[in-house]
Amino acid sequence: MVDGPEELSDRERAAVEAELRTLADDEFVVAERYTEWQVRGPTLEADIAIANIAQDELGHARLWYDLLEDFGYDQVDLIWERDPADFRHATLVELPFEDGDWADCVVRGYLYDTHEHLRLQALEDSAYAPIADRVGKVKGEETYHREHTQNWLERLAESRAGRERIQRAVDRLFPHALTLFERTDHEETIVDTDVRPEPLADLRAEWREVVSGFLAGLGVDVPVEDAAELLPDSRGRDGTHTEAWRSLYDEFTFTYRQLGRSEAPSLMPAPEEADVDV
Amino acid sequence: MDIDTVKERAGPREFGPGDDMPREYREAATRMIQFHANSEIMGAYIERPFIRQAPSLDRKLAVSAQVQDEVGHGQLLYRAAEELGIKTREEMLDELEAGDGKFLNCFHYPLDDWYELPMIMFFVDGAAMRRQATLKRTSWEPYAHAIDKICFEEGFHIKHGEDILRTIATGSKRDRERLQAAFEKWWPRILQFFGPTDDQSTHGEFAMEVGLKTMSNDDLRNAFLNAYVPKAKKYGLELPEYPRVEYHEADDYYEVYEEDLDWEEFFTVAKNEYPTGVGQIEKRERAQAAVEWVRDAIESPEQGGVSPAAADD
Amino acid sequence: MIWEVFRQEKAKDYHTHVGNVHAPDAELAKQYAQIMHARRKPANSLWVVPKEEIETVHADDPGTEMGGTTQKQYRWATNYNTDETFAEEIEASQREQEEAERDLAEADN
Repeated sequence: MVDGPEELSDRERAAVEAELRTLADDEFVVAERYTEWQVRGPTLEADIAIANIAQDELGHARLWYDLLEDFGYDQVDLIWERDPADFRHATLVELPFEDGDWADCVVRGYLYDTHEHLRLQALEDSAYAPIADRVGKVKGEETYHREHTQNWLERLAESRAGRERIQRAVDRLFPHALTLFERTDHEETIVDTDVRPEPLADLRAEWREVVSGFLAGLGVDVPVEDAAELLPDSRGRDGTHTEAWRSLYDEFTFTYRQLGRSEAPSLMPAPEEADVDV
Repeated sequence: MDIDTVKERAGPREFGPGDDMPREYREAATRMIQFHANSEIMGAYIERPFIRQAPSLDRKLAVSAQVQDEVGHGQLLYRAAEELGIKTREEMLDELEAGDGKFLNCFHYPLDDWYELPMIMFFVDGAAMRRQATLKRTSWEPYAHAIDKICFEEGFHIKHGEDILRTIATGSKRDRERLQAAFEKWWPRILQFFGPTDDQSTHGEFAMEVGLKTMSNDDLRNAFLNAYVPKAKKYGLELPEYPRVEYHEADDYYEVYEEDLDWEEFFTVAKNEYPTGVGQIEKRERAQAAVEWVRDAIESPEQGGVSPAAADD
Repeated sequence: MIWEVFRQEKAKDYHTHVGNVHAPDAELAKQYAQIMHARRKPANSLWVVPKEEIETVHADDPGTEMGGTTQKQYRWATNYNTDETFAEEIEASQREQEEAERDLAEADN
């Protein structure tokens, strides 16, 4: 077990950083899209629940960015003044959606949460102890998220209109969901050094099996082609993004730039100080 | 129960769903609670852009939680209103979309940027909190019950608003100038939050008589100014010359010069006819129309609910 | 569909009514109740109950006499003053009963 960056070689440091960045960026950006549902949900209860899920994901992003701070960065470097081309989230999480497309919300959530569940399971055995230590907290909330999206998918699939909406969302989002499993330049080191003992290719195979089984059960078709045929042009993990990313980035950094400060205010104690069992 | 008995018995948390309340009381209570619930939803609408625009992770979490709470307060209040048996929650939400639902004047004006946010999150929410605290003693028990929970949650909103205000107020000269400009723009609206002074409205009087309201708008405004004028000064904000607000030390009273405020605008706002307010209502209407298909799908899945999009194919 | 929500703060407490949620089924009702009514207040367990399944009997309903109309002093500890002092737990029970009696008396006024 490794307890911090100082115990790592340069190559290993780069690998841990790469893994943390994809984790943190995915959570941060998926939350941005979830928050668009606030005060726009189909019912007051759905609205309040999705807000909670958005906050959970932001909280997870906060935990992972905080571990990156051990590598000598601060939140400003990691988010607010970072070049948008340096973000490593999957394209699934940045895609915009049409007004009222609740099927997009639940399908996106389902594809994402199922991936996250598998990835966190693999990270429970991470040789980098700070990651393994935080997995439990994150997984606890992900269970609710997965059940929430599954409950909604089951409800919507009961009507023809709902099923059609789900199908369209799956057709659109599935290729982008595959980018969740695209490799960074550090994948080999990540696996070899047990930062994440399970390779992305294996996680993807598991994910496709779970997702295809569940969606087929709802009467929804899932693409069967090889990932190579389905993947979109932008892959996220390599720094290429869809058009939507730049405008999203400009929006969320707007106030930061307007204020012209060089710090991002904290309102809570840092995760390691907050409670001992993080 | 006849209306005289209601007036005689009126007191904190005196009436509930088990009481046979006269229609006049139920209508007045519905009007008041629905207005409150609508205001929570439309207030959330004003604040929601700042979830995205918040300049740090913690601020983003806090603003998201605040917006979530406001919608939650709406949920609690619609429930308290629903128990009066006049309108269902769906009917009240439909009225809001249709532009028939009334809500607080301040939520008819969208916020331009982060500098304006504390005007809502500190001053307006502070004013609302002041009013809400007095409603713990309202005569409609389900309303008081909702207010308990709202007050329990709302405290952090105003404290976060004050923290944002303090951060800007301790920034650069440019920050302070922009903050002052935001304050001058919002101050007259904030003064109008509690309505005209010596409000002779029949609604208000009746609500006092039957214990729905426990404090007059004048007293509330004064209590608010007592607490928040010193706060504004503490953060370096200067009260503009107009509208004139004069403090009378002898009786600890803030005199607001009515003639300095634009009441024509206020009453246009109140009728949901002021352009920026119309814009807010239309945004809400579009957002709700866009998710109508979801409600149809979950309410009557057996009908197969052909979606509008599918019908267009 | 409307579900009434009852929250139990910690194990062995009673479940008390805290509000409602609108949800299409029990699964979502349970999920929404957690966020709507337990995201700040502690909850050991939540009940969600279809509103329309709740039956009510009200004291004002004609012919309703919660527990009867004739003398019932024999049910109350305060009615039996055989000695001047009693075991501590008996005294405690009596205090609770006195409170309940006061509440009942107030409710009747």
